[in-house]
Amino acid sequence: MRQSRTALHALNGREWSLLAACAVTILLFSVASPYFATSGNAGTILRNSIELLLAGLGMTLLLAMGGIDVSIGIVMGLAAIGVGNALGLQMNPVLTALIGPAIGAALGFITATVVVLGRVPAIVGTLGLLGVYRTAIFVLLGGQWLSGLPTGLTNLLSVSPLGIPFAAWAIAAVYLAVWMALRRAPYGVHLLAIGNSEEKARLSGIAVVKVRIVTFVISGALTGLAATFYVANYRNVEMTIGSSLSLDAIAAVVLGGTSIMGGRCSLIGTVLGVLLLRILQNGLLLVGVPSLWQPVVTGGLLIGVLAFESLANRISIANAGWMRR
Amino acid sequence: MRAYFNKVLAVSALAIAVSTAAFAADKPKVAFVPQLIGIPYFNAMEAGGKRAAGELGVDFIYSGPVDTNPVDQLQIVQNLIDQGVNAVSVSVLDASSIAPVVEAAKAKGIKLFTSDSDAPDSGRAVYVAQATDEGLGTAIIDELVKRVGEDAKIGIVSGEATASNLNAWIGFMQKQAAAKYPKLKLLEPQYAGGTAQRAAQIAGDLMTANPDIKAIIAVASSTCPGVAQAIETAGKIGSVIGTGYCSPNTARSYLKSGAFGFTVLWDPAQLGYLTVWAGKQLIDGKAFAAENTVPGFTSPVTYDASKGILLLGPPAIFTADNVDKFDF
Amino acid sequence: MKTIRNLKGPALVLSLLTCLWVIVILMLALLKPSAFSLSTTTTILQFSTILALVSLGQAIVILAGGAGIDLSVGGNVSLSAILGMLALKAGLPPSLLPIACIAIGALLGAANGLLVTRLAILPLIATLGTLFVYSGVAVAITGGAALSGVPAWLLVWGRGVVAGVPVPFLTLAVPAFIVAGIILTWTSWGRWVFAMGFNERSARLVGIPVDRARLLLYAISGALAGAAALISIAWLGSARPNIGQNLELESLTAAMLGGIAISGGLGGVGGVMAAVILLVTLKTGLLQLNVNTIWQVGIVGALLLLVLLAERLSQRWR
Repeated sequence: MRQSRTALHALNGREWSLLAACAVTILLFSVASPYFATSGNAGTILRNSIELLLAGLGMTLLLAMGGIDVSIGIVMGLAAIGVGNALGLQMNPVLTALIGPAIGAALGFITATVVVLGRVPAIVGTLGLLGVYRTAIFVLLGGQWLSGLPTGLTNLLSVSPLGIPFAAWAIAAVYLAVWMALRRAPYGVHLLAIGNSEEKARLSGIAVVKVRIVTFVISGALTGLAATFYVANYRNVEMTIGSSLSLDAIAAVVLGGTSIMGGRCSLIGTVLGVLLLRILQNGLLLVGVPSLWQPVVTGGLLIGVLAFESLANRISIANAGWMRR
Repeated sequence: MRAYFNKVLAVSALAIAVSTAAFAADKPKVAFVPQLIGIPYFNAMEAGGKRAAGELGVDFIYSGPVDTNPVDQLQIVQNLIDQGVNAVSVSVLDASSIAPVVEAAKAKGIKLFTSDSDAPDSGRAVYVAQATDEGLGTAIIDELVKRVGEDAKIGIVSGEATASNLNAWIGFMQKQAAAKYPKLKLLEPQYAGGTAQRAAQIAGDLMTANPDIKAIIAVASSTCPGVAQAIETAGKIGSVIGTGYCSPNTARSYLKSGAFGFTVLWDPAQLGYLTVWAGKQLIDGKAFAAENTVPGFTSPVTYDASKGILLLGPPAIFTADNVDKFDF
Repeated sequence: MKTIRNLKGPALVLSLLTCLWVIVILMLALLKPSAFSLSTTTTILQFSTILALVSLGQAIVILAGGAGIDLSVGGNVSLSAILGMLALKAGLPPSLLPIACIAIGALLGAANGLLVTRLAILPLIATLGTLFVYSGVAVAITGGAALSGVPAWLLVWGRGVVAGVPVPFLTLAVPAFIVAGIILTWTSWGRWVFAMGFNERSARLVGIPVDRARLLLYAISGALAGAAALISIAWLGSARPNIGQNLELESLTAAMLGGIAISGGLGGVGGVMAAVILLVTLKTGLLQLNVNTIWQVGIVGALLLLVLLAERLSQRWR
């Protein structure tokens, strides 16, 4: 009990820091560049965050479970091929949109088979699958790109019910669904228990295998949804699609407070982490920092936040010990 | 245990001993190593190369790396040399892609030369150029200035910062702007890597940071879709002109929608054909004349002996009017 | 078959790898006998050198346990190469270039070690962060351009070949593996590493300075990356800012194929070298057979999965 309360406390602390960081960066950039604080720019930032928000949600669940997946970028690519091909065949846009999550879920199931049933450690198993999927992308694309795809899907997904873009509705809905599953359904408790200790979870009677498979499938479906939005936004499927997605997602999710060791997760933290990263990338370019420095900022931020927290923890533990005397 | 390993060693030793056959010499082989496979531009070069191989009576090998690490490209080149391929042409990611093997290739009598992207001081036999790097850089600037005026602000989105040919074109763009159009404001190049998402993100941010921007140049063919999409999404068709070194197929829908005003390119299939032809010439020991007639080319191909450059010809400008005539 | 079943640990891995290697050789023998030449062997060893050094560093970090991994090796190689050449341009005496590269690599690795041991950041995340920083800085400060100006004597060393074996392989990679192997198997240092990986709690209770040892191992892994950077400079003739691209995943693949358990405490460096040579032989064989290069990643990925599944199954049979 005490551990989970402490975990909850630390979680909120990180979320607050991220919120503060977002606010501070927005303030600084608004002052530094007159073009930052406009609704158009805000829309641009949010549009660029869509794939990472969706993939990040899947990664949050995986990390909370104590697993990981380095192949989600390529999975997004394979799903995008499916969506792109369907688009080229002039299929019904709604059906086309659903193909992405369907393919993603199927691939997530394959990953689950290797990692959960084959009992291969997640990082290595997904590493191997990464190679296999990359070859698959090439074979399926025939070495070409899918370029200049028709706008049917783009039109479907650019509607703005109540003035808010469809993408925002979709992401909010998905996050809400996952949140409900985590908080209101046994799934969430089981997931975090497995993340804490798989052995103890199994001994408590949790269907570890089932939960793990379901999580991989959910993550795959979310990645597939990201693929749908990618195709709708960029109308192009290239060989290198999604190449940095998995590492970016891991960075954003960990920044948000989910621990790689598993056992706790923060959905709000993931959203804030993704937004902070995208705000920084956008703002830095607006103030004239060359784009090549953006990865350095990402890495530096990640290390900085974790280092700061680690030092803060040590100080507070030291202080607590001192005060108890 | 030891007996098991001994058996394994014996089997492989036997295999190696038994298979020391010299391979029969038949048609000469010409190879081309692109910068990256799976890109429409290089696929077109491959198609041209295959056609040339059929017509000129050589075997054509096309093999390229799956990422932009020069060591991977070097590995392919080295293996082609080991195989005894007669002529190997490379679109070098950087001079280091062939530097270590130039001497070895010469020693083995293999013709090592560059095509599409050069390593000028490496000792390569010839450089088959689509156009001079200078010509490419100046063509885009000149065409843009015709459309946006001499005092416009222009952004540049490139692919990999480590691609030497892209950087050469950017360098000549900057030189031309400084020399001929001093009032032109050419922004610092930004690098998007290889995905449409990054290119769109960076192009979009460039337009936000510079609301008075009049044009964006997509330097790498992989950045073309992203830049065009960013212009469309931002609703700036007409106020911002997109352009770049993009193939007609990739740029067609954007030329028609108006996001792209024009694109500059050459025919990569022709370049591929010329590459294989040059390889055959090198194998046969024929020197290049100042003007060479190549089968299937309407005008002769020039050769600059001082720099060792075989020039395909001037770059072509594609617009919404003529883009449908081409399919690559 | 029974003999195979009774194998376990490093011996099983070595025999699996040897079988695969024999299969590759036989396929080549059948389909392209002309591939068997001295130059092919030289090529294989040449392209194994950088990967071997980096995989060794990755292996020792993983062996020491604590969810150890080093995702930043690629960035480390790139940055060490760039910083080494920049130091040369800033006036460093050329004879000190090799030491400079290795020292820079060691420092970058030690930074990883500090993050992991002193700040208790999990290695996966710490090295992910440093991967972004190192590879980003390498590209950003050069603007993507390569730095040339390598002293000629270094090129002679980097491109030299002795009796078909590349000189850097002979003088750097092989000794590194031998030293690592000796230390790991026959000294108490080595036993400490295995103990830390196998059961960290017991290791601490017994008095092994786990944190200091891990810091040292990360520094060593960094030094090996620096050595790989040196080789890339000496071989290619310039320092490229993206030379380390993909090395993190490749070295991880080689280490896993080589029998290192991801949780640490199990495995040997001989397996890692064998895995590296197998991977490069496989790639070379595929290239010689003119199979499209994209199949390489797929085959290597499938191979990794097969080997791991086979190991799992063999554990089940007992």
